[in-house]
Amino acid sequence: MKKNEIIIILGLLASCLIGIAVFYLVRATDAPLSVRVTRQGTVEAIFPLSEDHTETFVDALGSNTLEISDGTAKIVEADCPDHICVRTYPISSPGETIVCLPHKLVVEVISSGESR
Amino acid sequence: MNSKAYRLVILSLYVAMALILSYVESLIPLPLPIPGAKIGLPNIITLVSLLTLGWPLTLLVVIARIFLAGFLFGGGFSIVYSLGGGLLSLLVMSLLLHFFKDKISIILISVFGAITHNLGQVIVAAIVVQTTSLLLYFLFLMLLAIPTGLFIGITARELMRLLNKTTIFSKLNLPQNK
Repeated sequence: MKKNEIIIILGLLASCLIGIAVFYLVRATDAPLSVRVTRQGTVEAIFPLSEDHTETFVDALGSNTLEISDGTAKIVEADCPDHICVRTYPISSPGETIVCLPHKLVVEVISSGESR
Repeated sequence: MNSKAYRLVILSLYVAMALILSYVESLIPLPLPIPGAKIGLPNIITLVSLLTLGWPLTLLVVIARIFLAGFLFGGGFSIVYSLGGGLLSLLVMSLLLHFFKDKISIILISVFGAITHNLGQVIVAAIVVQTTSLLLYFLFLMLLAIPTGLFIGITARELMRLLNKTTIFSKLNLPQNK
């Protein structure tokens, strides 16, 4: 491997880290945060992130149980085959998402101003 | 044995090895909170195949591996995401190999392959769930794809070095082999 290839790889790594940093900085806000649950582009529910809440979303494809506690949201239970959504880290910053691909469910943190 | 039959044997060997690597990979989930992250072991075979058989036959290897692995150890829908990632990454790797053949190492090709594999999967996922908010998720996947791509690339390079010492590829008569 040549020197310039190492530079390209380091460049990719750096742009990736900068991208993540910019993402968090741009989205950072003092406004109260909400959790939006979307299924196939239609909004199912919006909850304030500050209140503890547990709700199960059921449809023909299966069910996912969303739990909001201590300012973070996570999927605690799902009957999908891969359980990727359950293994996702709890989300708390605007822009972070949990996706359940088999059930086409998206859970994301938004700042309350952009709830519509 | 004529070279066409020989090529078929090598081809089926690649599919079998890629399938086994897919299985091994499904046994070792990465202990990371990033869902869907994988090491990409079958990409070793994709790279070796790309270098020895060229892209049209590698396309067959990739499609056969994705469908077989999908039916054997994944859910039915996982095939769609694997196809999105596998085909995009094969396309990018083939183009890189075609245009920068002597200037680029297999390791860098592997890194780009790993990144575009994730990109393909995220694009398919974004279409399926109809959301545009997967960018952050993709950046995390990309961050992970760089070290795994490096690892896979180094493995593939060493494998090629060892295989080139044997006579397996000498009957293939392909220009990629010196």
